[in-house]
Amino acid sequence: MSPTDISTIENSSLYYVLTVCSVVLAVGFLIVSEVIMNNHKKHYPVGAKVKKPPLVVLFLTLAGISIIPFAVLVIRKYLGSISGNYTTLMGTVRLLAQGFLYTFGIFFFTIIFSLPLGLIVAAGKMSKIKTISVIFKVYVSVLRGTPLMLQLLLVYFGPYYLFGISTGNIEIGPFNYRFIASIIGFSLNYAAYFAEIFRGGIQSMPKGQYEAAQVLGFSKMQTYFKIILPQVVKRVLPSVGNEIITLVKDTSLAQVLAVTEMFTQASALASAQVSVMPFIVAGLFYYLMNVIIESVLGVIEKSMSYYS
Amino acid sequence: MNILEMHDIHKSFNDLDVLKGIDLTVTQGEVVAVIGPSGGGKSTLLRCATTLERIDSGKIAIGGDVLCDTKEGKLHYCDKKMLSEIRSKFGLVFQNFNLFPHFSVRRNITEALVHVHKKSKAEADAVCDSLLAKMDLTAKAEEYPCNLSGGQQQRVSIARALATNPEIIFFDEPTSALDPELTKGVLNVIKDLAAEKMTMVIVTHEMSFARDVADRIVFMDGGVIVEEGPAYELVTNPKEERTKKFLAGY
Repeated sequence: MSPTDISTIENSSLYYVLTVCSVVLAVGFLIVSEVIMNNHKKHYPVGAKVKKPPLVVLFLTLAGISIIPFAVLVIRKYLGSISGNYTTLMGTVRLLAQGFLYTFGIFFFTIIFSLPLGLIVAAGKMSKIKTISVIFKVYVSVLRGTPLMLQLLLVYFGPYYLFGISTGNIEIGPFNYRFIASIIGFSLNYAAYFAEIFRGGIQSMPKGQYEAAQVLGFSKMQTYFKIILPQVVKRVLPSVGNEIITLVKDTSLAQVLAVTEMFTQASALASAQVSVMPFIVAGLFYYLMNVIIESVLGVIEKSMSYYS
Repeated sequence: MNILEMHDIHKSFNDLDVLKGIDLTVTQGEVVAVIGPSGGGKSTLLRCATTLERIDSGKIAIGGDVLCDTKEGKLHYCDKKMLSEIRSKFGLVFQNFNLFPHFSVRRNITEALVHVHKKSKAEADAVCDSLLAKMDLTAKAEEYPCNLSGGQQQRVSIARALATNPEIIFFDEPTSALDPELTKGVLNVIKDLAAEKMTMVIVTHEMSFARDVADRIVFMDGGVIVEEGPAYELVTNPKEERTKKFLAGY
């Protein structure tokens, strides 16, 4: 993979599709948080100062994150053409910023898919129906027990070598199968870890909370979504944060599928320049992203600290 | 009118028989205290009456609605609709409060009113305000449970149990998690309820409280009711040897 391949992406509609997606997502999250906020306000007297509940903070954050590709597009417009001299530091930064969009894409979509999937897997593993719980137990065991890199390769090559399905032509918008396969692989893998975290959180809830809800007449669904889940979110947040930060760095594994994410670019640049500078710049990108994530997690955690 | 009827209740956990044929009837306005040593089945009896445990055989009826009945050796529980009907007829106060920590005091009390009993927010708030005034907690309405003392938390949980206007309230050792000073406040609230002729079943270790507030005391040990009678008489002049021995410890 040579760094000059970047120029082919330059002309693609990737950015525009990504931008539309991100704006749609951002607006979606804003609407959801507005709905929750309005519902939340109902519990306070009129005119009272109402604190934003954690879910609203979370959705506002997601809305903010969704807008990042859009922001990058705007910045890129003012930074000028990327196909400049990539041997300079500025050129390196620009190329890596381009790769970072993919890194971010993998990260973002993996979070979007793996968190709900993790909840489903956790529920499946706790199912009273033996067959279902065994299936999900095996799922978690295998996904946690084998290398992520192997899983990525299997998702990418599996369809062809196992079923003879050619994946070369599969495209969803600007995303080729390499990119899609990496998101599928990461999502399946992280769902297994999230599932275990959620299961731990749900099982750590005192029995008394269920009993109090039951005696008050709440249905099972109401108990779960009003009483249990909000408290579980608070309990699992530190562990989920851990996984999210690990995911940022794990995206570099997409390199094995030749996805042009940041680490792939950094490797190519480093060998072209015979320098470690691209790696250091890439490292700074990863670190910067994690610093932002840490502070966002901090804000969410703080928004839930009104009770213990 | 009988608010609570329990007849020939049997309950075992694995091979351990916890309740061996309990009969207990509580009439309207009556306050019954259940006393006895730990492991005697008091709490289990309460948990069976409040649908938290399923019995093995016997009959339970609350407010005239049959929760479960045994006919020709087979136990039948009522359907879901009746179950929720029955659950709206009683309140339960736990030993360790079990308030919802992520809800304010107000929401702890109004949540079930709004989302289970489909009352309007304004109605629920009115109920909440009057109950909090009664509990002397008006200033704490918007606080979270973690900022309250144990006694205040227990009073909130009593308010929560009262909010749905139940026909009977069960107390499962309501003061066991409190220090003596806080205990007083909670017991006073229960005393006030007794004066208002609220039907109550109270599992307690507070002997003098049981003697003064309860109409009737039931002494349980080893899964059976050993002795029951008018509160003052049972405490001051127990007939059974086992009761005497237990009360001598107080």
